[in-house]
Amino acid sequence: MRELKYSEILARNRELGASLPGAAYRVALLSNVVMSQLGEVLEFSLRRQGIKAEVTLGEYDNIVQDSERFKEFDALVVFWEAANLVEGLHVAADTLSDQEISALAERVEGEVSLVLENLKHVPLVLFNRFSSLVFSADELHNGPLAGLCDRLNITLDKQVSASQIIVGLDKILAKVGLDAATNFRQFQSAKALYSINFLKAYVSHVEPAFLAATGRGRKVLVLDCDNTLWGGILGEDGESQIQMGDATWQGHVFREVQCLLRGLKQRGVLLALCSKNNPEDVDGVLSCHPDMVLRDANFVAKKVNWCDKATNIRQLAQDLNLGLDSFVFLDDSAFELGLVEKELPQVRCFKVPDTLSEYPSLIRSMGREFFTSSMTAEDAAKTDMYRQEWARRDASVRFASVEDYLRSLGLKIHIAWGAAVSVQRAAQMTQKTNQFNLTTRRYTESDIRRMLADNYSIATFAASDRYGDYGVTGLAIIRFGAEKMVASIDSLLMSCRVLGRNLERVFFDHLVNKLRAMGIGRLHAEYFRTAKNDQVSGFYDTMGLRLVSESADRRDYLLQPLVDYQPCGIDYIEVSEDGV
Amino acid sequence: MVSERIFSVMSAVFGVDRSKLGEGAAPGTVEQWDSLRHMNLVLALEEEFGVRFAEDQIEQLMSFPLIELSLRELIQSGK
Repeated sequence: MRELKYSEILARNRELGASLPGAAYRVALLSNVVMSQLGEVLEFSLRRQGIKAEVTLGEYDNIVQDSERFKEFDALVVFWEAANLVEGLHVAADTLSDQEISALAERVEGEVSLVLENLKHVPLVLFNRFSSLVFSADELHNGPLAGLCDRLNITLDKQVSASQIIVGLDKILAKVGLDAATNFRQFQSAKALYSINFLKAYVSHVEPAFLAATGRGRKVLVLDCDNTLWGGILGEDGESQIQMGDATWQGHVFREVQCLLRGLKQRGVLLALCSKNNPEDVDGVLSCHPDMVLRDANFVAKKVNWCDKATNIRQLAQDLNLGLDSFVFLDDSAFELGLVEKELPQVRCFKVPDTLSEYPSLIRSMGREFFTSSMTAEDAAKTDMYRQEWARRDASVRFASVEDYLRSLGLKIHIAWGAAVSVQRAAQMTQKTNQFNLTTRRYTESDIRRMLADNYSIATFAASDRYGDYGVTGLAIIRFGAEKMVASIDSLLMSCRVLGRNLERVFFDHLVNKLRAMGIGRLHAEYFRTAKNDQVSGFYDTMGLRLVSESADRRDYLLQPLVDYQPCGIDYIEVSEDGV
Repeated sequence: MVSERIFSVMSAVFGVDRSKLGEGAAPGTVEQWDSLRHMNLVLALEEEFGVRFAEDQIEQLMSFPLIELSLRELIQSGK
């Protein structure tokens, strides 16, 4: 976006706004300085990713009031400029007494708390860290304005919740440079402190948060081997000559890169290999080479063969049951990258830089493709879970029928109700699950907590079989109606990791059972069509609910009375429950 | 052509069709040309032509002819 001129961004933004389908993704921008250009740049950046963003500017310097007004929006950006906390603070701060500064700090702390509280149900909030850098960069001692910012940031850190991200303005200022980031001429005449260059950099910096919030975060990093994980070509140079140790500076770079990649894996990114090599040669390096940082267990899959890489990546997508738009591909060869870019345009491609010393920085910036707003135990263990899946698939070929095979797995689900539910995992599932999701409603942790305290029933299930544990992979949210004995299924979803095992049918049986025991006589259910959930369009039909109305995007079902429900009769899945 | 590029930038900044802009373009004749968009126009023109207007010039850029004149001067003097 840096290369695009502001006028081009404006023109293209309008075109995209007219052509994107679907409902608007509403973003509000609250600020105490003039930030109108940020709205357009942000809209453009999101629209070209397919998000139909509409940015509404809050009233100038009305952040507290507007936090009340816009709390139903999809996302909020709060750009609270320290220099303008009171008129002209950037010059007045040095003349204020300690007491006056302290009083001001208290007042703003109160306002910050109120704003964060008002916004706690908004799915995504970007809140700038208070910064004085533009005005304090020449100071050797921290002046009053810098001290004030430090104090406010402590408050911010303490009160912010998982869906609220604190944006490090200083990082962006450092990347752009203070001179290029500011426009004092504009600031004097119109209270617009920041240059378009800064605003473009700001939007680029925060973009991953929006992608993650709208289910577009990427999940898999596919890696080449030769001159990507190590220096040299394994097949030609041999195991002892490839470089990834401290003997040469090139080797050192590759070692650093592998360490960073392992860090990504730890964060929940899935690593896969795709290399034109003999599999035995690569396996040898993965298991025996003393300088190798990444080992076989760190990879969720390996495609080491002589086929073209586009075919291999397509196969990986199938194996892992993920869309190609979840993939990132890293290779040193312009040829390989060109082929994949052409055949699989949804895959994001990166090239190992020609200047090798820049390679670790590239990995760091690539990490942003995989941004997630929360880390759970499931994230860290993801690679293991996918590897266990491999073991299961290997076993499947030996069985005469699918049922035979499923029966042999020793499948178990453990259903947790109400207070036993992991709020963090439940919210995460609503945000990340796209395929087996009947209504695709996205919720934050505070939403889940609110529902648990209100007229709702929430259940999750964790699944396992004899090969290992899948973790918590299913969720149902039931809403009770104003009328007694009426309920409706607000959400029903399941991770694509556990598809094809009939777990959802057994889960549904238990849901209906429980509702019937509670005295529910009528159950409503809905299916909302999206680009990704076509596979469940007939789920409620299969479960025996009656279709009462249908349109292109939606189906409504009814189950009445609940005693008429026929359980699926699957006897090979063991069920235990908690919090009933 | 300098004038065409000016109109193209104006069209993008104000969100009006190129056909509605002419020699008489000014805050009085173009509804969307308010003070906020005037600032955006100045920035976009500076970016498009690689120039920087002097501070006291900006208030003078209040019509298409004045803008064109100022730009030609800046371009010629190589700023």
